[in-house]
Amino acid sequence: MLLAPPVGLVILLLLQEHQKFLIRAVSLVSAGITLGLAIYTFVAYDKGLGGLQFVEKHEMVKTFGISYFVGVEGMNAPLLLLTGIVIFTGVLTMWELETRTKEYFIWMLALVTGVFGVFMSYDMFMFFLFYEIAVVPMYILILVWGSTRKEYAAMKLTLYLMAGSGLIIPGILLLYSASGLGTFNMVALHGVHFSPWVQKVVFILLFFGFGVLAAVWPFHTWSPVGHVAAPTAVSMLHAGVLMKLGSFAILRVAMYLCPEGFQYWAQLMALLATVGIVYGVFVGLAQTDLKYVIGYSSVSHMGIVCLGLATGTVDGVNGAVFQMFAHGVMTALFFSSVGYIYDRTHTRDIHELGGFSKIMPVASAFFITAALCGAGVPGMASFWAELLVFIAAVKVFPVQGLLAIAALVVGALFALRVVQNSFFNAPNPKFVHFEDVSPFLALPRMILIATLIFFGFFPQTMVGMIKTAVVPFLQGM
Amino acid sequence: MMNVMLFGPELYYLGAALVFFFLSLKRQVQVKGDYQIALALAAGGLVVTGLCLCQQGELFFKAYRVDLFSQIFKFALALGFFLVITISHNLAHIEERYHAEFYLFLTTTTIGMMMLVSSVELLTIYVSLELSSYSLYILVPMRRGDGIDVEAGIKYLLIGAVSSGVMLFGLSYIFGATHSTYLSDIMVQLPKLAASPIGLLGLLLTLAGFFFKLSVFPFHFWAPDVYQGAANQVTTFIATASKAAAVALLLRLAVLGTSYGYSFAQALVFLSIISMTLGNLVAIIQKDFKRLLAYSSIAHAGYFLMGILTMKEAGYIAAVYYALAYLVMNFTVFMVISEVAKDGRDLKIQELAGLWRRSPLLSLSLIVGLFALAGVPPSIGFTGKLLLFTSAMSQGYFWLVLIGAVNGTISLYYYLRVIYASYFTDDPSLGPITVSTPTRILNYALIAIVLGFGLFPDRIVELAKAAVKTVL
Repeated sequence: MLLAPPVGLVILLLLQEHQKFLIRAVSLVSAGITLGLAIYTFVAYDKGLGGLQFVEKHEMVKTFGISYFVGVEGMNAPLLLLTGIVIFTGVLTMWELETRTKEYFIWMLALVTGVFGVFMSYDMFMFFLFYEIAVVPMYILILVWGSTRKEYAAMKLTLYLMAGSGLIIPGILLLYSASGLGTFNMVALHGVHFSPWVQKVVFILLFFGFGVLAAVWPFHTWSPVGHVAAPTAVSMLHAGVLMKLGSFAILRVAMYLCPEGFQYWAQLMALLATVGIVYGVFVGLAQTDLKYVIGYSSVSHMGIVCLGLATGTVDGVNGAVFQMFAHGVMTALFFSSVGYIYDRTHTRDIHELGGFSKIMPVASAFFITAALCGAGVPGMASFWAELLVFIAAVKVFPVQGLLAIAALVVGALFALRVVQNSFFNAPNPKFVHFEDVSPFLALPRMILIATLIFFGFFPQTMVGMIKTAVVPFLQGM
Repeated sequence: MMNVMLFGPELYYLGAALVFFFLSLKRQVQVKGDYQIALALAAGGLVVTGLCLCQQGELFFKAYRVDLFSQIFKFALALGFFLVITISHNLAHIEERYHAEFYLFLTTTTIGMMMLVSSVELLTIYVSLELSSYSLYILVPMRRGDGIDVEAGIKYLLIGAVSSGVMLFGLSYIFGATHSTYLSDIMVQLPKLAASPIGLLGLLLTLAGFFFKLSVFPFHFWAPDVYQGAANQVTTFIATASKAAAVALLLRLAVLGTSYGYSFAQALVFLSIISMTLGNLVAIIQKDFKRLLAYSSIAHAGYFLMGILTMKEAGYIAAVYYALAYLVMNFTVFMVISEVAKDGRDLKIQELAGLWRRSPLLSLSLIVGLFALAGVPPSIGFTGKLLLFTSAMSQGYFWLVLIGAVNGTISLYYYLRVIYASYFTDDPSLGPITVSTPTRILNYALIAIVLGFGLFPDRIVELAKAAVKTVL
């Protein structure tokens, strides 16, 4: 699974810029293989057995104890599936791209390689290496193919994330040196009992470092700007998958290796998460650009993930991982439909769009579905995820939990407002001549919706999967 | 025969220097012919140095030690020399009748550095250092220019002379305190003087000569002007091979400071932090690409010190690895400069505009090289930097690593500005750049090395591990 994108990338390097169809086809095939493998691992994962499966391990640098160590377990399998879905639909979404096609797909596949690497790595060194690989192509992707203040956004995003890395490196290395084992293997490091002081310092470094990518308030400011500026598929990947890298890393590295540090800082985590949820909702209310609306709703949804993690209970962490998955698919759908509308109308202003559903009923329907999902309507995947998180949150942090729920109700309101203003008012005569989505271009969006609804009706497939990892994980703490 | 092999690389380059000397005597200038001879000799040098990689022994009354450590660095120097020659097919800014001299002095400075990395006696070190420096003093102002070359030459000479003076002063302290000029004897004697500061002072002053080469604060003032003022090829050599030699010697000498442990290390920590912070901050406002790289080299000097000051195996391995990595990745960037600025001018960052269109391959090399310098994976620079940080952290330098990591972010900002210029802005007046086939191959090879050894560093690390055993 990890190999398909880089192989595709190398083939792309050899192709010429004018062979556009071939370029797209190669990208699609490598994305398709990835998706197929992701589905295969998800289905073939033996839930009864649990633990790490599909393990691959090779020594990389003996002197420093670095190894290539990947595997799949209940927590990362859903996220692998998510990445597979988003990259596949992302390539389809960008099918119409004409400028510098080859370079675009090269960078995109590089990014995806990094994402898969992060989700699967059990070696801190490789984890961080892939993490950086996933982050850096964003700069070029936004800069060249983006829109709306892209230079500012690209630079801001990259510097924020690199500053985060600047905190992560000392954190990781402190663990490495404090363990005295001379290995970056996370499973081995998990067995070491670090002194409380080390755990506290490392946890806060890693939490803030990875938290930047997870858009934890107050480190979120790059995220709406970045989403708005990025081209459609990159927004999809970015909000859908990349932000999850941050929260997943908090879970996989910070909480896994520093349980005492986690307990010490859990209050702060919950507080910041709640502020993020409330803040995201209210700032989102004031936006008129559809992408900004989604950007801020992402901040609040990622707050839910963080809140779930902060509870440190089975339900909470379950919900958080589920929410990562659901939010990923949902945001991908959001950006994908907005991207389609923007490509045609060149506007994302809510009022200018007016009654857009009368012009493009299908395209609008995609957006509305996503909005409903974001509002947490039952029957959608995110409903279950949010429910789990809030049940846990109210138990552990009653005040924050109730605040978050209240904010979410307001959030539902604002989702409806957006939907009403942009799709059900009087249609804007400028756009009347546009045709609706062609079946081929509708395909990626259909896949996303199908995923949301499938896991909305059968949440147990997902929760059961996640549980196999979360229960031993929390016992280990 | 054995001894010839031991001294093989040096003898070879001495012969090459003689060839260039005779070439320079000719009345008729044959630029093309000279270049082909130079290229052939450089390639031969690479082979000879490669063959002598596993030699071991001592020469000249034990003042000269040949071991894996020295041979690796000699190979690096031969590689640097070869690479610089490959981009010298177009020495636009050096007068044609001086081309042979250019090769001659480049060769002599290489010999000087090769002798430097093998020297284990203070006077030999000093003489070799001066041999390499004097050649560079001549090379820097060789550029046909508008006065900037002379300014660069004088600055380089003066600061070089001052640092040599400081170094000699330090050497006299060490000799006075230990009554020996052999590193192995000093190693035994110095711990006995741990109570008095004379050894520490002498050692730090001695290191000054190499701080100058590595452009560590406070001996960094020459770097921006020399980088900008010297011909692109000369700058390339100063920025790549010469740094590797300096790191080698710092590694050899820093071991002496082990007995001073804390205070010696603290002095280096101080220099390291100032170098990287200063270099990175000043680089942000640069407009000339080579000046920017000069400040980036000051910052990198700080990173090198990080590995050196650990005085432990892991740190030394990391420093050796990073020195080799730095040579390759910095060269990649300089190669792009000399290809884009075919007429030998100084390249402004803006002049990179539209590089992705003018030459996609060069723009790719530039991105790879710059990302490697910034420490972005999966490049050799990232792995090297992380190894350095790891070794420093293992010795408990938490704040140093934190500051180093923050510096990485700052440096990314100005590297990204260059990438922004080359990848995003466009200037229709600039035509495409033609890249010859050998240069193409060179490009692919460099990219493959930077990425390949970044992902699979084990071979190099094992080699470095074997090499530093003989030093520690």
